[in-house]
Amino acid sequence: MSITWNDNAPIYRQLRDRVVAMILDGVLKQGDALPSVRQVAGDFQLNPITVSKAYQELVDEQLVEKRRGLGMYVSDGARDALMRSERERFLTEEWPMLYARLKRMNLDLQTLLEKADAAGSKS
Amino acid sequence: MSDAIVTARGLSKRYGTTVALDNVDLNIQAGRIVGLVGPNGAGKTTALKAILGLAEFDGEMNVLGLDPRKHRNELMQQVCFIADVAVLPRWITVEEVVDFVGGVHPRFSREKCLAFLAKTKMKNTQRVRELSKGMIVQLHLALVMAIDAKLLVLDEPTLGLDILYRKEFYQSLLNDYFDEQKTIIVTTHQIEEIEHILTDLLFIRDGKIVLDATMDQISDRFAEVMVNPDKNEVARALKPIYERQIFGKSIFLFDGIDHARLAELGELHKPSVADLFVATMKGTYA
Repeated sequence: MSITWNDNAPIYRQLRDRVVAMILDGVLKQGDALPSVRQVAGDFQLNPITVSKAYQELVDEQLVEKRRGLGMYVSDGARDALMRSERERFLTEEWPMLYARLKRMNLDLQTLLEKADAAGSKS
Repeated sequence: MSDAIVTARGLSKRYGTTVALDNVDLNIQAGRIVGLVGPNGAGKTTALKAILGLAEFDGEMNVLGLDPRKHRNELMQQVCFIADVAVLPRWITVEEVVDFVGGVHPRFSREKCLAFLAKTKMKNTQRVRELSKGMIVQLHLALVMAIDAKLLVLDEPTLGLDILYRKEFYQSLLNDYFDEQKTIIVTTHQIEEIEHILTDLLFIRDGKIVLDATMDQISDRFAEVMVNPDKNEVARALKPIYERQIFGKSIFLFDGIDHARLAELGELHKPSVADLFVATMKGTYA
């Protein structure tokens, strides 16, 4: 697999975000093993220190746990915890800006819901 | 600094009147993957040869606690080397090479080597002259990966290989060879392909080390900013090390300027190693 990294954030951070997205999407479920540092380093052509750093972030956030001698596993409740923090982040950071924009454009709830339903029935 | 694998002080080397290495200091720690990068003729291969005890030099050098000039035999048991020139005789078969290395190197594992070769398309009875360039590099790699060495030195290991072989080469190294007890020093011109593999970067120019930093230090030190023309003068006053133009806007590369201050000029980006290289080496051939 080939991956392009953007140059605005450290790569370990982007790797961490990638694992988080996989947990949120349910691709990685609780109790699933993460590939070894070596494996990820080889696959993505990253130095092992970068990969370890990304994993350490996930451990610090308690999304992943280290099992001695076995490797890294997605913690129980990781997805729920992520959902909570992602919702919280959306409500405090993104929603106020989005809300201000909707107000500026005079879009009411009715119109938005109709559009969303139309889009939903198409997909 | 007890973990130092290579330390050099005042390393110098002349070929006649040409200075190949000019008072170079090196300090390479265990568990690192160090990229030694420089234009052709900058002194990369000479530096590697000095580390391996393959060339005479002036100055102090300590590799794995040994002086490469005095203890070459002991040193050779702990280091491994892929040269940019293929050195295998063309008549030898894969099998014979494996036997030979098994016979001369005490830390060589025949099983490991054969296991790696089994993953390639090479047959043990094939002669080196029947192998493609990519396969010859795979053979070299199989040999060195089967040697339990503390230091692996790679001089342009992927020169002339297609991208599939190049990727596979580094993938094998990272998957099956490298760990925190090992150290790799690598030179390459395909720097953009391995910049994320490296933990440390050394730039060499005209025999001098002009940059010696960890990759983390590099992202702290260097930043690229695309600046609107009205702020060009402000940017230039901060003494950028490089300036280039894209779509009528200037992109400045700064070394050691506070990132918060630069953010006022425009959006910050982390420069690629290739950008840094161009900026550092400008005027080399002029």
